[in-house]
Amino acid sequence: MKVLLVDDESKFAVMLSKRLNLRGIDTDYVHTGKDALEMVGQNRYDVVILDVKMPGISGIELQRRLMDMDPALKTILLTGHGSHDDFKAGSAEAVCYLSKPLKIEKLLQILHQIEG
Amino acid sequence: MNSRNSKMTTDDLAFFGTVNASISHELKNILAIISEAAGLLNDLTEMATSGGDIQLQMLQNCSRDIVEEIQRGFVTIKRMNAFSHSVDDPVKAVDIADCLDLMTGLAGFLSYACRIRHQPPKKQVPPVVTRPFRLQHLIYQTLVHAFKSVGPDGEIHLSLQREMDDAARIRFAGIGSGHSAVFPTESAGSVAASINAEVSIDEERRTIDIVVRSLDEAGCDGQ
Repeated sequence: MKVLLVDDESKFAVMLSKRLNLRGIDTDYVHTGKDALEMVGQNRYDVVILDVKMPGISGIELQRRLMDMDPALKTILLTGHGSHDDFKAGSAEAVCYLSKPLKIEKLLQILHQIEG
Repeated sequence: MNSRNSKMTTDDLAFFGTVNASISHELKNILAIISEAAGLLNDLTEMATSGGDIQLQMLQNCSRDIVEEIQRGFVTIKRMNAFSHSVDDPVKAVDIADCLDLMTGLAGFLSYACRIRHQPPKKQVPPVVTRPFRLQHLIYQTLVHAFKSVGPDGEIHLSLQREMDDAARIRFAGIGSGHSAVFPTESAGSVAASINAEVSIDEERRTIDIVVRSLDEAGCDGQ
């Protein structure tokens, strides 16, 4: 499984990707929507984990654009707000949304479900 | 005539709520990073316990990140505290430079915030007697407009100058034309009027100026 993590909080993205890589999940990370579009254009990912609130392109809009590029792509939305409006806006397309701080066990469970 | 006892408006409450929501989001981001760092420390410890290599650099990076994020949290809480206390005194002598510093810090939590460069004043700017909460509200609204006009990759320049004995001029320079909203909005205009401030836009120079004049001792604008 190949995962792309998109979050403008660079330390968060670096650490989460390291934790996933330590568990054998091949994970790249970027910090902007623009970079995410470039990465998905150049590489094949199974799952994109993306923050709902980012500068420039919003997470919801980014999700739509990524899925237009690769309809087979699965997305998981991350939110620090826990906003139901955010969830409602993107939930039809996303596998699920998770609130920060993350419980990695929950994330792994979802990734294994997607894989399996 | 606006007196010292002017009441909070719905706009004031909305502003207070917006800023507090952005502070809570910032604190949540900080806690999320600390949580991941603690999780990674735990992962690395378990690996070492199971006979894997001790990844010293990663351990050091994690520890350093936790310390940095805790410091970031303290700064955020300090700003939250200063903002919360801005409603203590309806009218007081305000250090405009301190006020600008606080509001640029708080507005910086917005996801669409751009870089802000502060230009130091050429002469010391004396405090201005005004309504601190309303001044913060006006500065925040102006910053939001400025951010939206240049986008998150842009930059605005902020300067403060003395304007006569009892007034100060705040200038936001580098405003873009990429935002269609009119400024000052009705809300910003109303806030400005309540503290005897003037807001002006120079489309050619791409600046927004706020001139803040002292209210009298009764907290009135003298009109």
